[in-house]
Amino acid sequence: MVKIRLRRMGAHKKPFYRVVVADQRTARDGKSIEEIGTYDPLKNPAEINIDAEAAKKWLANGAVPTDTCRALLKKAGILE
Amino acid sequence: MRYVLVYSGMKSSLDNLYEMSLLADFYGALLSQRQQDVLRLYHEENCSLQEIAEELGISRQGVHEALKKAEKSLRDYEAKLGLVVRFQSQEQVLHSARESVNALLADCGDPKVRQGLLALKNDIDSIEEQV
Repeated sequence: MVKIRLRRMGAHKKPFYRVVVADQRTARDGKSIEEIGTYDPLKNPAEINIDAEAAKKWLANGAVPTDTCRALLKKAGILE
Repeated sequence: MRYVLVYSGMKSSLDNLYEMSLLADFYGALLSQRQQDVLRLYHEENCSLQEIAEELGISRQGVHEALKKAEKSLRDYEAKLGLVVRFQSQEQVLHSARESVNALLADCGDPKVRQGLLALKNDIDSIEEQV
């Protein structure tokens, strides 16, 4: 199964996340198929950048977002 | 690449993710190795409980308990020590100090004053690295 998940990047005490598309089995070794956006909670208010076309393409192809990613996609107006 | 830019100030599971990542940066080393692994997989790799259970070879219930216990410990540490709150308010002060210096730099033509302001900016940067 292909999943859309958040992956933490950024330095110690400076969390920053990428929205990545990755196969469920290779999720933990850091490999991803495609990076489709970023989430920066340090900005006030938090800044979300998502490539809507890529996200919709992956969702249409059956990629499953994690719960947090679903919340993020909803905020970005990509998911209902 | 076309991006959709969205701003929001609502409290959500995303805020919880951020809060826990930050708490783990400060107090994570005080937890057991197992708890640290569970926290990292859950909050930094965004794995589901089931995926973590498979990765660590324990039950889903076991992962859930380790996670809840770890999160509670982190919140307890913060309630007693308040390092994250202190860090955030220091960051805020440094941010506004930098903004003020930048505003002055933008207006000021005097080379001597500019030199002083740039030195001040460097000082702010090095304080931020130590925070």
